[in-house]
Amino acid sequence: MVDKELLVKTAKKIVSREDVKYVVGYKQGTYGFVISPSFAYTPEDVDNFIYNPLCKKNLTVYPILEEKLPLRREEEEDKRKIGIVVKGCDSRALVQIIQEKGLTREDLVIIGIPCKGVIDLKKIEKRFPNQTEAVNVVETDNAEYILNISGAVQHIPKEELLSEVCKSCEYPNPTIYDFLIGEKIEVGEVPEYSGLKNLDETPLEDRWAYWEKHFQNCIRCYACREACPLCYCKTCMADMLEPQWIRRSVNLSENTAWNIMRAFHLAGRCISCGECESVCPVNIPLMELNKKLEKDVKEMFKYNAGLDTKEKTLFGTFNPDDPEEFIM
Amino acid sequence: MTKNSEGTFEIQNPYQPLLAKVVKITNEVDGARAIKTYKLVFQDEETKINFSFIPGQFVMVSVFGKGESTFAISSSSTQKDYIEISVMKHGKNTAALHELEEGDIVGVRGPYGNTFDVKGWEGKNIILIGGGIGQAPLRSVLNYILDNRDKYGTLDAIYGARTSSDICYKEEFAELEKRDDVNVHLSIDVEEEGWNNYVGFVPNNLMEVKPSSENAIAITCGPPIMIEYVIQNLLKLGFTEKQIYTTLEMRMKCGIGICGRCNIGNLYVCKDGPVFSYEQLKGLQGDM
Amino acid sequence: MENLVIQTEKLSEWVNEVIKKNKVFAPVKETDFSNFKIIDDYSEIDFTYLLPRVPAKKILFKQTETLFLFTPGSKGSVQTKEISDEKLVVFSLRTCDAKTFSILDPVFLGDYADPFYKSRRERSILIGLSCNKPNVNCFCTSFGDSPASSDYVDILLTDLDGKHLVEVVTERGKKFIDNYKKFFTSASKEDLDSKKKVEEQAIKGITRTMKLEGIPEKLDKMFEHPIWYENAMKCIGCGTCTFVCPTCHCFDMQDESTLREGARVRVWDYCMNPEYTHHASGHNPRPARMNRVRNRIFHKFNYYPINDNIVGCTGCGRCIDYCSVNIDVIDIINKIGEAES
Repeated sequence: MVDKELLVKTAKKIVSREDVKYVVGYKQGTYGFVISPSFAYTPEDVDNFIYNPLCKKNLTVYPILEEKLPLRREEEEDKRKIGIVVKGCDSRALVQIIQEKGLTREDLVIIGIPCKGVIDLKKIEKRFPNQTEAVNVVETDNAEYILNISGAVQHIPKEELLSEVCKSCEYPNPTIYDFLIGEKIEVGEVPEYSGLKNLDETPLEDRWAYWEKHFQNCIRCYACREACPLCYCKTCMADMLEPQWIRRSVNLSENTAWNIMRAFHLAGRCISCGECESVCPVNIPLMELNKKLEKDVKEMFKYNAGLDTKEKTLFGTFNPDDPEEFIM
Repeated sequence: MTKNSEGTFEIQNPYQPLLAKVVKITNEVDGARAIKTYKLVFQDEETKINFSFIPGQFVMVSVFGKGESTFAISSSSTQKDYIEISVMKHGKNTAALHELEEGDIVGVRGPYGNTFDVKGWEGKNIILIGGGIGQAPLRSVLNYILDNRDKYGTLDAIYGARTSSDICYKEEFAELEKRDDVNVHLSIDVEEEGWNNYVGFVPNNLMEVKPSSENAIAITCGPPIMIEYVIQNLLKLGFTEKQIYTTLEMRMKCGIGICGRCNIGNLYVCKDGPVFSYEQLKGLQGDM
Repeated sequence: MENLVIQTEKLSEWVNEVIKKNKVFAPVKETDFSNFKIIDDYSEIDFTYLLPRVPAKKILFKQTETLFLFTPGSKGSVQTKEISDEKLVVFSLRTCDAKTFSILDPVFLGDYADPFYKSRRERSILIGLSCNKPNVNCFCTSFGDSPASSDYVDILLTDLDGKHLVEVVTERGKKFIDNYKKFFTSASKEDLDSKKKVEEQAIKGITRTMKLEGIPEKLDKMFEHPIWYENAMKCIGCGTCTFVCPTCHCFDMQDESTLREGARVRVWDYCMNPEYTHHASGHNPRPARMNRVRNRIFHKFNYYPINDNIVGCTGCGRCIDYCSVNIDVIDIINKIGEAES
């Protein structure tokens, strides 16, 4: 259980600093199980901050999203820091972006939260549909969630609602932070990501049929890209017109090109927060692709993304001994 | 519209352009922001005769395989059988247009948008204030008035560019300067050897020229910031909001009010504009 | 116009009969949700669905449409895209999806009629299915509509447990249903009463309300208001809300060609993308998420009412359901109602 008081106290202290623009955390959403990002500009704004197992959203997408608009005459660039609440995976995104020089460490004040895993919104909404009122969820020490739904208390085994990515999480503790809320979590052996067998074990034709079915549904809303903290290219290759790598037509061929291309661009960079998959409005199991590449990268290059800001990126380094069997 | 084999008209497809031949290309400006003027003649005889427009309107021009862009018609409606557009190179389609040679084929849709009220302005003194490629729609009005010269009062053409080599329609301005029924006031932004006209921004040149607002209509087109200051200065010179007109630019795709992107508030620049009086513009609440 | 009844076990026979002469779109189970698809047999229809993920607008206004064909290059030529004359039936539309077309008609059938939309609109029969179990974010009642409304369809079906009430609403619907007379019997007063009960029950299931009164006018005075910044800060700029919206109609046009042949296609576009309004010159009239979020809300709740005298929202709730950062249009509009302008 994360100490909400400590979180609020810490965030208040940060937002009061002159060199901080705002702190982004979580607040209760407008209905049911939904959580909303919350931007606090003043200590009072922090009062609505919460933290519970529903706080899945990876907030590290925000520091880069902010527009740098042309300055008006005599206007100075706002160089103040952004305070941000991160879980283990989220913090790895920050590390990775800092490694890639997308952000600098000085841009951020980081509140780290050791994370025991978060709930998959799609799972919980399916289990308890049509919840208008806000539902509070508490995690117990014996791997249960306690839900209070309109007065009725429900005990649900954690396993049933936990996000699939969390089940194979190796880094629940933030890899970078200024303030840590709560005790670090001990990490034992973690099972392999459940979806990996789809790519590793199914026969080629079945595998193709499986992905064809999913890619056919893609509406190319690019929610996966926009929600991904590591998809921050100034001009995404999907938006380029000259040359046009991917056509705008929404059909199986172009959709496949888009989804596969995105997965490859995240090789050695994806930090397994699962955000792309959870925002996908047509439920494409994108993490199966990302996890497959993560596994390959790990096996071939002994590389894990987002652990240390001083480390070089996978594609920023070359080693004569690098494996090359996969190059045709 | 196309006739099918039975001789009846098929459903009109407003997205499908008509073919036009590039009969003449004039290099206006060289360099990174090169500008060329294209004289286009419709391939289909019927369209060639029937295509009519009024200054202020625009067309959508395609290079097949590259895309389609919006251009103000820069020729006058009094000039029959052809239209002209001026193209600054800065995107995929405009770059393709710049590659074209005389005799090549492009697609043209239009004319679209509202018009300058050239008929309603008869008897008035006309002041045209243009900057850069923004002269294109003003050139249409200018030539229209010159072709109906006796119907209008005095005619002033104020025009500026960054440097003398950025001036669009150079030769035409040189010809105009020789005429006594139009007053040409050229400017460049910074001092240059051999430049005998005004040096400074267009809004400042306007204050030098100081046109009278009496019985006058001022039309301005150019970069957004220029338009803003020109309007401010026109107001200072006593022009009312109803005497000031401009033509706006927005990114467009369909040109016919469906695709959604060119709105300023509830108005679509493609069908409710592109010509707006300052009176309308002032009342508009929207992102520009 | 005419109220009929069909026994539920006859439904499959009837629909399969319809399929013989029409292209029938109905909700079909995809992976773990439903979408409108062309069906070859009644058994493909998913009746457990509440709303198909992608709204029914996609049937008349396809996500990808070839506008015309061309030969690429500087000696190019064009070739008209033939429009099919197949008869279409959209089966099992909910009120919120059916209303789509009343909102899109002024756009696509205005000064310049869109030939693709127009043709499909004229060729299609809209068969509604009353909604009996609304979702958490359903709010069609806020617009004065009902989950069992027959206002926007040609024919409305209502599941009365064992049989379906068939309300024939339009002339077009009547002509259509007359081809299949043998499947139907006249409805009784009890049937109509049962429908009322189903409707009342469904209405009770709608728990969220958007308070719309005075909103379009109030927005005129709220162009500069902190609420836009608050919501835009959360926005990640994806296109989900627009693509799952039954009334968002913006599109892009692109040339897609090989060396020898090409087509100009139009695809759904989304105003949340900065590229959407980006001028080739570099200028962008909507450079920030604030401008874009504001424009989307204004378009639906201010520009639409001014231009076409209708609110550009049907209350389907999809934009709320699928927004990953809880930008909640009901909440925004209600806050606008409460805010000082």
